[in-house]
Amino acid sequence: MEVTFRIKRYNPEMPGRDKPYWQEFTLTDVAEKDRVLELLHRIKWEQDGTLAMRRSCSHGICGSDAVRINGVNALACKLLVRDVGTKIQVEPILGLPVLKDLVVDMEPFFEHYRSIMPYMVNNDPLPADKRERLQSQADKDQITETTNCILCACCTTSCPSFWANGKYVGPAAIVQAHRFIFDTRDQITRERLGELAEPNGVWRCRTIYNCTPACPRGIQVTKAIGEVKLAIRKGATKNIVKVIEIHE
Amino acid sequence: MASLVLTIRETLRYRGAVGQWSWVLHRVTGLGVVLFLILHVIDTSWAVFYPSMYEHAIKIYQSPLFTLGEFALVFCVVYHAFNGLRIGIMDNRPELWRYQDRAAYIVLGATVLVLVPVFIGMGLHVVDHYQEPVNNLPLTEVLISQLPFAAGMGAAIIGALILSAIYGVLMGSEKATVSAKHSGSPIERFWWNFMRISGLLIIPLVFGHLAMMHIIQGVFDITAAGYPVVGVPQVGQALTDGSVVIGNGWNDAGSAVEFVAERWTYAIAGVAIWRVYDIALLILVTLHGFNGLRYVLTDYTMDKPLLRRASVIVCFIGALVLLGVGGGALLGSIEPTAIEQAKHAMRAVSMAGQ
Repeated sequence: MEVTFRIKRYNPEMPGRDKPYWQEFTLTDVAEKDRVLELLHRIKWEQDGTLAMRRSCSHGICGSDAVRINGVNALACKLLVRDVGTKIQVEPILGLPVLKDLVVDMEPFFEHYRSIMPYMVNNDPLPADKRERLQSQADKDQITETTNCILCACCTTSCPSFWANGKYVGPAAIVQAHRFIFDTRDQITRERLGELAEPNGVWRCRTIYNCTPACPRGIQVTKAIGEVKLAIRKGATKNIVKVIEIHE
Repeated sequence: MASLVLTIRETLRYRGAVGQWSWVLHRVTGLGVVLFLILHVIDTSWAVFYPSMYEHAIKIYQSPLFTLGEFALVFCVVYHAFNGLRIGIMDNRPELWRYQDRAAYIVLGATVLVLVPVFIGMGLHVVDHYQEPVNNLPLTEVLISQLPFAAGMGAAIIGALILSAIYGVLMGSEKATVSAKHSGSPIERFWWNFMRISGLLIIPLVFGHLAMMHIIQGVFDITAAGYPVVGVPQVGQALTDGSVVIGNGWNDAGSAVEFVAERWTYAIAGVAIWRVYDIALLILVTLHGFNGLRYVLTDYTMDKPLLRRASVIVCFIGALVLLGVGGGALLGSIEPTAIEQAKHAMRAVSMAGQ
């Protein structure tokens, strides 16, 4: 099978290529079960070694190869040719500065992540065994889904509110905050809710729902944001999270 | 501005699902309603302050351009109302998100379903009106008559920019919008809740208003002599000898001012119910509309403090003007001589049309 790629290129260090432009590549001997990431590798290895992109684990866990494929954010390692067809358009995710080709500067994204205090705060003395702070299964179920986030930025960079306003904390950071806000062992719920109730916090979410289908981990992102909004409105975290299993 | 252009371009390019397009339509229809609201509140206040200008404004509303605009307006209101309900439900029950796309299609379907009979009703008024030869104001006059509004809005924008610049000079550079204590913005929380609650209250009020002013009686009926006035009981017959009685439920002279006077005079148990109705609608819609406009404008100006402050100020000015002008008119009284003035003005307008 033959596949045509259309890739958005940009190289700030090379005169003539320092404006974003589209470049086409054709690959032959492609199988339906090939992943988009493998094909990007083939382009880089066989046709143009200057193509810049990110990937680490290649198995949908590290979250470093988020790109926009055929108009929708996804991890290149999780999409097969079968899913996207034989004309494949790849461009960097939007809303973060492009450094080169498909590589974006993730620092603004991580800055938002750090702003939600992504660590558990509990000042009680350690339990008798000096090991774990246990919680019930029901309590754990509330945060199971949001602990799955791999910080790939697919959701945040699919959000028109984030495109318009890079100061908006964004879906991913809210998902991460959700994981601590509804963790029954955490003790700074009030501070967390306060931080997210800032004008650039959850109120910038306009329930557009681009983030939910963009998540490669199947996290119900807009639902998580909605639950954080509810917690802020009610000033409490009890009985807000409705656990729904999704089977893809 | 750059971020607005980028967002529009990329919204068109990103293959988002129906939720994204619902959001686009919600914004566009909201902006459409706010634009009309500005014209409408100011125009209607003239019934009290400048009766002859009000008569002229209604004549302009009867021109083909505004007839088209009226259909667009009704679409905007109905879609915005239904989609607002969808948003409100999803906000209170986030776990229902899986039905949001179905809900978005239901919103579209319900909009069409409601609009078909409504547009037929409105269309019949238009057909009726054009049964007889009409003297439409020339398009250029219609457009020129809207220039003062454009100028007013321009002035509000320039004023907001100047105030924003002065604030910037006096207060120095600001640390964006994050409060020092990171304790959350009670103002944003209030407005977020206000948008949901006011939206819910506005829906029955505005649907009632549309039913009375656009379906039961159209804009053409407002100036029809000897017509009953909607929402007011009729007493006896309309006067045909050129005299005018306010309180008989008839538009004796066929004057828009008389139409308004009839409605605002009618009282049940001493309460002028249509004034109360209109005041409630004015307050809720103005606050809802201009806070919505603030959301839209600040979404695209967060990285530019000057423009962000100006966005907030211009919405504040807009709301203040509409509440002042509209509220002033609703609390004012229409003098009997006003209808005489209005009738003279009408005659002058129709003479000019011939």
